Amino acid sequence: MNVEIDLTARERVPRWLSYATPVLTVLAALAVSAVVLLVIDVNPIEAYRLMLIETPTSEIGMADTLITTVPLVLAGLAVYLPLKAGLFNIGAEGQLVIGALAGSWVGLNVSLPGVALVPLMLLTAGIAGGALAAIPAWLRAKYDVNEIITSLLLSFVALQILSYMVRGPMRGSSGNFPQTDRFSAAATIPELFMRVHLGLAIALLIVVFTYLLMTRTRLGFEITFIGSNDEAAEQAGMSRYKVYLLVFILGGAFAGIGGISEISGVQGRLRAGFEPGYGFTAIPIALLGRNSAIKVLLASLFFALLFTGGTNMEIFLGIPAALVEVIQALIILFLITGEFFKRYRIDFTVERDPTPTPSETAGGDA
Amino acid sequence: MAGFLGGLLNATVSAATVFILAGLGELISERAGVLNLGVEGMMLSGALGGFIVTVVTGSTWLGLFAGIVAGMALASIHAFLCISLKANQVISGVMLTLLGTGLTTFYGSRWVENSIDGFSQVTVPLVGQYLVDIPVIGTALFSNTPTDYIALALVPITWYFLNHSNMGLELISVGEDPEMADTMGVAVFKLRYLAVIIGGGFAGAAGAHLSLAFSQLWVPGMTAGRGWIAVALVIFAQWTPSRMLVGAYLFGMLDALQLRSQALSFSVGADTPLAGIINPTIDFLMNGQIMATYPYLATILVLSYAVIKTKSDRLAVPSALLQSYSRETD
Repeated sequence: MNVEIDLTARERVPRWLSYATPVLTVLAALAVSAVVLLVIDVNPIEAYRLMLIETPTSEIGMADTLITTVPLVLAGLAVYLPLKAGLFNIGAEGQLVIGALAGSWVGLNVSLPGVALVPLMLLTAGIAGGALAAIPAWLRAKYDVNEIITSLLLSFVALQILSYMVRGPMRGSSGNFPQTDRFSAAATIPELFMRVHLGLAIALLIVVFTYLLMTRTRLGFEITFIGSNDEAAEQAGMSRYKVYLLVFILGGAFAGIGGISEISGVQGRLRAGFEPGYGFTAIPIALLGRNSAIKVLLASLFFALLFTGGTNMEIFLGIPAALVEVIQALIILFLITGEFFKRYRIDFTVERDPTPTPSETAGGDA
Repeated sequence: MAGFLGGLLNATVSAATVFILAGLGELISERAGVLNLGVEGMMLSGALGGFIVTVVTGSTWLGLFAGIVAGMALASIHAFLCISLKANQVISGVMLTLLGTGLTTFYGSRWVENSIDGFSQVTVPLVGQYLVDIPVIGTALFSNTPTDYIALALVPITWYFLNHSNMGLELISVGEDPEMADTMGVAVFKLRYLAVIIGGGFAGAAGAHLSLAFSQLWVPGMTAGRGWIAVALVIFAQWTPSRMLVGAYLFGMLDALQLRSQALSFSVGADTPLAGIINPTIDFLMNGQIMATYPYLATILVLSYAVIKTKSDRLAVPSALLQSYSRETD
């Protein structure tokens, strides 16, 4: 008996499958993580109930989720926009950090009333994030240097600069901790309700802006066109150079604003390692939401829930917060597995009489 | 100063071993056309796996073996996703680093308090004890852990394998032009799997060296970004093992210098012209955190220089890097 496996590329993805994939993906990741939990004698059902049901239904949990969404969605857009133009920005982490750093510097060293200081901090953060993102974009647009590697490596440069600044020039007067002084009231982003700060409104505005940019403007069309076929787009008179720089700088600016919002709206001072790698979480967020800015927002809410739920699991059940990283990674790994099943149809045919064809005996194909 | 220099060179050799092992693994994988951004995660699982097995069995060699297996296990997920399922290599790699970091932090926290007798320094038989007495360079060259010597030996072995063995040449052809290679009867999928999994084994060995020889302890996240430096190193070395050896020692020395940067102070006399500018600049450049950025900045410069200089037609980067291969014509 001989089982033959045939892969056929699907011409159209069935509707049910495109909805079922994300759901199945999350379920599969939770199932595997349940095994991880069972090994350390934690009841997975109790853990998941706390993380996914009690966290979003309690007021504090809801507020924390919204607060965490702000840096996530802005960093997510920093990956999403270049992705639309066919580029990979995996340096949102660095852009977020450098924005937080530059914005904090303004917040600590410039004295202005809050109505002027906070916008100035956001602007500086945006410029810093955009400037860092401009380096890989320019190298790619002008010389075709791979933007994946350069944007990634610049993230580690930014993280070290943050570490240097909070240990050296920007270290606070109190104690030896690698952190700055607390921000003044004028440098703090105002609270809206329940500790949720104005940054959420700004983030939502940016989401709407990006959504309109991509769906309603000529520029959005150019970005998508260049993303799908850059040579044809160039022949149609569009500038690859301009679009590449634009998507990266805009994205980097968003990530920078996300960074300073987290510092000025939530933490009140800049520390080394102030965030658990939101800029890397931005990659799966953009991947899940790559169809529209609104979906990026939804994906950010989901990952924010994972982070807050993870913190709650740590507080109430003593489960290491590292589990959140595991679940996140598993969701994405299952998601890219799911992508495969969306793209290809697999047929199993069972033959009674094995007559190996030459291509099979030659081997090689997995 | 001689004592400082000797200590620095000792630490450089041990730090370079991490980069040599992880870098060679990444190089093999990339030459076959698969970028592995999961090195950091694979190194961490190698470090923890090696540490646990050493604690439990008391044998560092079994520990090293376990570290290699742990790295290979994580790499096989990468191989399956990127080769069979044609998933995006960047995403799969970054997620495997996340997975490896998460899992090792999750399970590794309770092993932190354990202590081990790691690999100890060995010398060449007979003449070794005299060679070690050579001032400054003696111990750095002739008294090292077995992993240091293994790593060093693996550089020419890898070079020979890639450039002079049939399988190595086939592997390179798979990374350059998989379709052509397939037409010529090269087992594209099998070789890519092999390259990725061997690469993971190297990364696991690098991690095990870190926990069993370099620091002789386990702390979650102890690789501290060295996996990313290994990725950078391969580009810095333009995909050749010999240049990687040089790069590994360069980055290794930076790594060793960082830990010692506070003991260093270079300055010009206060009456020298521009002393007010020169001294703070030196302090800034010799700062541990600032020095930690050099490998990344150097790699970006080398990569950009190489791309601009060669106008991408003779670039060393494997042509099919990041491209998944499928037999259907599409």
